[in-house]
Amino acid sequence: MRRTLVVATRVLRQLIREHRLLGLSVVAPLVIVYFLKLFFDTMPPTFETARYAVPVAAFLVHFLAFLLCAIVLVQERTAGTLERMFINGFRRTEVIGGYLVGYLALATLQAIVALTEAVLLFQLNYAPGTLGVLFIVVWLLAVASVMLGIFISTFARNEGQVFPFIPMIIVPSVFLSGLILDPHRLPDWAEWLGRLLPLRYANNVIQEMIRPGGALGAIWPNLLVLVAYSVVLWVLASRTLAEVE
Amino acid sequence: MEQRFLPWFKRSYNERTRDLSTRRHIFSASAAVSHQEWRGCMEAIAVRALTKSYGSFEALKGVEMSVPQGAVYGLLGPNGAGKSTLIKALVGALRPSGGEMRVLGLDPLRDRSQLRRCIGYMPQSAALYGDLSARDNVRFFGSAHGLPDLDRRVREVLEFTDLSDRAGDAIHTFSGGMKRRVSLACVLVHRPRVLFLDEPTAAVDPGLRARFWTTFRDLADDGVTLFISTHLMDEALLCDEVAVLRQGRIIIHDTPKGILERGLTRVVVRRSGQGCEEHIIGGHPEDLAQALRSYGLAQDVDAVEVRRDTLETVILSLIEREEVRV
Ligand SMILES: Nc1ncnc2c1ncn2[C@@H]1O[C@H](COP(=O)(O)OP(=O)(O)O)[C@@H](O)[C@H]1O
Ligand SMILES: [Mg+2]
Repeated sequence: MRRTLVVATRVLRQLIREHRLLGLSVVAPLVIVYFLKLFFDTMPPTFETARYAVPVAAFLVHFLAFLLCAIVLVQERTAGTLERMFINGFRRTEVIGGYLVGYLALATLQAIVALTEAVLLFQLNYAPGTLGVLFIVVWLLAVASVMLGIFISTFARNEGQVFPFIPMIIVPSVFLSGLILDPHRLPDWAEWLGRLLPLRYANNVIQEMIRPGGALGAIWPNLLVLVAYSVVLWVLASRTLAEVE
Repeated sequence: MEQRFLPWFKRSYNERTRDLSTRRHIFSASAAVSHQEWRGCMEAIAVRALTKSYGSFEALKGVEMSVPQGAVYGLLGPNGAGKSTLIKALVGALRPSGGEMRVLGLDPLRDRSQLRRCIGYMPQSAALYGDLSARDNVRFFGSAHGLPDLDRRVREVLEFTDLSDRAGDAIHTFSGGMKRRVSLACVLVHRPRVLFLDEPTAAVDPGLRARFWTTFRDLADDGVTLFISTHLMDEALLCDEVAVLRQGRIIIHDTPKGILERGLTRVVVRRSGQGCEEHIIGGHPEDLAQALRSYGLAQDVDAVEVRRDTLETVILSLIEREEVRV
């Protein structure tokens, strides 16, 4: 536990010192949401922009948290610091836990920034309760994304090997998770494939909550699925992250 | 190398001891006690028939070695010989394909958690966090061990490696040599009893190289066992024992003195009125004495010059001879 916090502190300290990475991970969602706004402004007035604002913000948090965490952890492997950590006695569960805690701080910041901007730019007037649920779901999604990043990074020997995973995560997330179309209109196999993605469950909640009259009542199990998703990834990652080559 | 009548070992011993610095307080307290525990008990490192294959490529082909406590043990070999592979296996970072190994009597894989407190490993690459300061790097790796006096130890090892005035600066502003020193500080912070240093002096300027070796000898004097790999053959002279690794096999295992004795000595005798004559003799000190008695003490001898093979020449010719045999 103590060593988990030591790793988390170090990860955070590194994030704070790495201005570019920090800037990118906070500014990038802001800029992209703004471009989205510009794009939606060109649409005919009948187009319902509000349906897309929060889901796109959630998607950005998901993707950036995943990518940053995966890349930084792979950099540890290529630099040899991961090996050095293990030889000094850090356990893999402590390394994973430390990364999770460290990156959660960043993901929380991203969730707040992206949601706030979406709400302000698109002049969404959601009730405080709705906003609270939206924040929780985006945050849980961020946890799952960080875990996904940790898990994927255990399969990459260098930064280059992370890149093939990017389209593998992005493309299905955009098309199969309910971000731009209703997943129930997909063929069965694609619908099932979508169920493997954490964004699908986050979207189930978000779409319901932003629907006029929507309520958490029937959809709260989706939140549990997100939690389970993170736990399963934790278990898998602590098996695939090799302490001994 | 030209030396007149001064036995090589005496000379190298003088060279070794002359600049031993005074900074030895760093290890004495704890290491002296633990050294007592181990002294005479067992060897620090024992390796039997160790093999490692990467796919179909055999990087280690049955390595045997035994390293006594408190020794500076040099693992020499050209690039690609398998030095890093052997060291990684010994520190428990790599699973060998076969064979057995013990470090301080413990199995590097099975007894990992116990062993990690007693060993230090300096990888061949810097393996540091570029964005963090030297102090944060040393403290991070030290904090894995739960030292009660971590802050003091961090200060001590930074002082020991001469980094105190740059301790707060980020590593990415450091030169290559400074990064090596930070890396060494990270290894020393928890007072390990066996150090594994993978090419610590590669691409380091001569001044720092000399200082590193002085430091290594100091640590050994305090009872720490040092296992140092290098591809620089002349560094063998600074070790107590040397193993030469070539294509995954140890082809020579000896003291530096023993290796030098396998070399040749040329005695060039200049007589008045005549030219030079050259005699090739063996490498033992007695051979030299005998040669001087027979060629050197005649009335008409003006000068005697003794030229010995350098350690590098000897090792390289031994490697070559091995290549012919294989
Ligand atoms: N992970 C690996 N996969 C495949 N081959 C490797 C791997 N690591 C090392 N080797 C090979 O094993 C041999 C020994 O490598 P290494 O131990 O790094 O040598 P040294 O440290 O003596 O230069 C080299 O031929 C190298 O190419
Ligand atoms: Mg090497």
